[in-house]
Amino acid sequence: MSGDFSRSLWRDNPFLIYLVGLCPALAVSTRLVNALLLGAAMLFALLGTGIVGGALERFLPPRWHLPVRLLVASALVTACDRFLSVFAPALHAGLGIYLPLLAVNCLLLGSAGRGGRPFGETALEALGMGAAFTVGLTLLALLRELLGAGTITLFPMGSFRGVLRIPGLAGQPARLLAAAPGALLALGYLSALGRWARPGRKGS
Amino acid sequence: MTAPGSPAPAPHLHAGTTTRGLMLSVAACLLPAGTWGVLVLGPRALAVLAVAVGAGLLTELLIAGLAWKSFTLADGSALLTGLLAGFTLPVSVPLFIPAVAAAFAVAVVKMTFGGLGRNWMNPALGGRLFVTFSWPALLAAGALPGPASGGGWVRVPPWQPDGSLLGGSGTLGAVSTLLLVLGSVYLLARRIVAWEIPLTFAAGYALTVWALAGLPAGGGLFRGDVPAALASGGFALAAFYMATDPVTSPQGRAGRLAFGAGCGLLSFLLRAYGGRPEGPFLAVALMNMFVPLLNRLGSPMAGKG
Amino acid sequence: MSSPSSFFGGGVRLPERKSPTASLPIRKACIPAEALLPLRQHAGEPARCLVRVGDTVAEGMPIGRAAGPLSADVHASIPGVVKELREIRLPDGELSPAVVIALEGEFARTGRARTPVDWRTLSRGELLAKLEAGGVVGLDGVPAATRLRVSGRPEVLVVNGAESEPYLTCDERLMVEKAAEVLSGAAIAAAILGAGSVEVGIEANKPDALRVMAGAAAGFGCRVTALRPRYPQGEEQLMVRALTGRRVPRGGRPEDAGAVVLNVATLLAIHEAVVLDLPHIERVVTVAGEGVPLPANLKARLGTPVAALLEECGGLAGGRVIVGGAMRGFALDGLDTPLTKGMAGVLALSRRETRAAGRTACIGCGRCIAACPWELRPVELYKWLEHGELAEARSRGLGECTECGCCSYVCPARIPLLEGLASGRRRGAA
Repeated sequence: MSGDFSRSLWRDNPFLIYLVGLCPALAVSTRLVNALLLGAAMLFALLGTGIVGGALERFLPPRWHLPVRLLVASALVTACDRFLSVFAPALHAGLGIYLPLLAVNCLLLGSAGRGGRPFGETALEALGMGAAFTVGLTLLALLRELLGAGTITLFPMGSFRGVLRIPGLAGQPARLLAAAPGALLALGYLSALGRWARPGRKGS
Repeated sequence: MTAPGSPAPAPHLHAGTTTRGLMLSVAACLLPAGTWGVLVLGPRALAVLAVAVGAGLLTELLIAGLAWKSFTLADGSALLTGLLAGFTLPVSVPLFIPAVAAAFAVAVVKMTFGGLGRNWMNPALGGRLFVTFSWPALLAAGALPGPASGGGWVRVPPWQPDGSLLGGSGTLGAVSTLLLVLGSVYLLARRIVAWEIPLTFAAGYALTVWALAGLPAGGGLFRGDVPAALASGGFALAAFYMATDPVTSPQGRAGRLAFGAGCGLLSFLLRAYGGRPEGPFLAVALMNMFVPLLNRLGSPMAGKG
Repeated sequence: MSSPSSFFGGGVRLPERKSPTASLPIRKACIPAEALLPLRQHAGEPARCLVRVGDTVAEGMPIGRAAGPLSADVHASIPGVVKELREIRLPDGELSPAVVIALEGEFARTGRARTPVDWRTLSRGELLAKLEAGGVVGLDGVPAATRLRVSGRPEVLVVNGAESEPYLTCDERLMVEKAAEVLSGAAIAAAILGAGSVEVGIEANKPDALRVMAGAAAGFGCRVTALRPRYPQGEEQLMVRALTGRRVPRGGRPEDAGAVVLNVATLLAIHEAVVLDLPHIERVVTVAGEGVPLPANLKARLGTPVAALLEECGGLAGGRVIVGGAMRGFALDGLDTPLTKGMAGVLALSRRETRAAGRTACIGCGRCIAACPWELRPVELYKWLEHGELAEARSRGLGECTECGCCSYVCPARIPLLEGLASGRRRGAA
């Protein structure tokens, strides 16, 4: 059972290895905090749709699986969205449209039709994929924000406004990395790294 | 032909050109323009060139050595890439810029795709463009070292510079263009570069400038200032040294003619309507992407590989 | 008068390097003490061995019988005793049974006068029989008799005196010294074929040969044309195009354009076999290159080891030893390879002459494409073959490649294009 978790995380990391669910990659990975938030939201949504959707799928014919997932995902994601807009409006604004867009994210919907399995397995797999997504997105955001803006943005807590400025880089960051082409560039290299470090890789 | 165990395959004669010879020839033909640029702009220009070349060589040494366990510097291409990258940068930039440009060119544009012969975009161009979009403020032509501020050794009349060894447009650019073309005459005569590309590049550029350059300024058709456009060093470098890179240009005559024409047209559009002085560089980079398609033009056996 | 070259583009201008041998008359080489005669000196199956160890053989006696239409008889080039039968590896890598003859006894033919036969009184069948009996083989390994028999009735016989490869001057000297015999051979071949006319093509860098052949041609009713020197002008299709204006269809043969091409040395062998009843037991070979102190054009017995030929020219001073031409020949790792019917040259080339260099990746310069006389794209074919895609390479013209070597010659990255294409063609043919 734990095999599912670690497999989703390392060997079959959907974000880095299979490049699934890339929409948020461009927009949200400009700030580390956004990446963490979206990752958390994705994790929540994956777990929710996995469990609820999986449970419903037992009772429904196959052609209903995808629409049901869509509905469940939308509901959960909207809940996240509203929750965040009330309790952390500034962070919510940072995510913009990309949080609601999770509802149609391939990663979420791609797990349709895999219901009907033991509850534990589904949960672990969802956790694994969510963790994989978060890890991947976070790494990307770290790279992009560090080199592309010279800062690291975390959750504001108390008097800490959340933005750490790195002395050397903050002066003249490589702005290309903060823009869309940089995202794809960085993602490409991270993906290559992920494949290279994959356990059980053949050759070089 | 080789028989098993026999020492060397036919043919037993060779024309004498080698990859290194080609790369070094091109680098040598950049010398006149480079020397002139250094004379005008001073030691800072030399520093930029040296840093670019050094960074390029070091990057290739490290990556080839660590990843492929081989030494590839001998083929001279890293040297040429660093040199070209250095040429395109304004000399007032902090020295990390040429280093990053050359390193990016070698590491990302060339080595990531498999090394010599496998890149799809001209490496020096890639480096220059990365740096352009990453540090746009630094690359805008600002106050420049020059004779007025005691930087160089040769005084020239005031010019519209882009601060690089190529001189931008104006007098300095014109002299650079002249010297670059002079250098390329050798390359063309020895068939080291394909003549079709600079020909249609220049023709396309001149034609579109003549026809359309008046429009943005409201002057009407066919009133473009062709000499000023052609006198820019950036155009000359792009047309004679960057677009003609054999790895990233088509291999047949028809393909090359089309490639040059496309570069010329795009150079004008990017300069005039995009407002970018480095229009020719962007144009070549864009056309690089069409090379596999252009390779299909021409003879019946063409480009199916 | 130089005719315009028959190339549309392609081909290369090679350094000629034909002096001093171009002006050196053919001289007889020493008879070897031992002759090693491969039974495969042609394109087809090895000849069937007719002798056993210990047999006495006379000069010119058949020791191998043709084993098929692409096979030919092999004759003893020296009188003596069969010392050994063994299998040797030929320079092209193929194995062949071979007969070793130790010199002994009288020469039945050499030094004796021969009465020339009037070939015009012989029928076509009789002429072909004489060619078969003489074991005459063409430059491409096809026996002359077979070539003449199956070529239908072409309008033109083309005499190939181009010799566009560097260093080689054996054909040139043959044309200067034996013009009448060569043209006689051409007349015989034309008669067998029923060809309407004979065209002789000689590269313009051989003025003496042009002069002598033109003078002799008048008596034989042939036309002699000077050709622009460019490699590979000696390719059959290009000769036909240059001399008759006819285009051989892509992937086709000269016969498809109504022409048959025969090389000068082959025509001499035809003449000797028919008129003088001399089997194919010796040939002229150019020994040259910087590694040869005293280059020469030697008329040597088949089966003479390459080492003996080099000895006669001052020994081997060093360098890469090649048999054949510099563009298509085979490098040797041992010097006991024997002289065979198709071997026009023995070369010892220094590093300075070969200009070999290290290999780099392909930089896409396109020089090979510009150099290919057949408008193929060698580097693309090479890459397809590297990936094992034989069918793709064939669909892009691999079958039309004549392995001339122009592509490898010009490649700055020193990619072994010719080797790759040749091995791909062999795999395709197999």
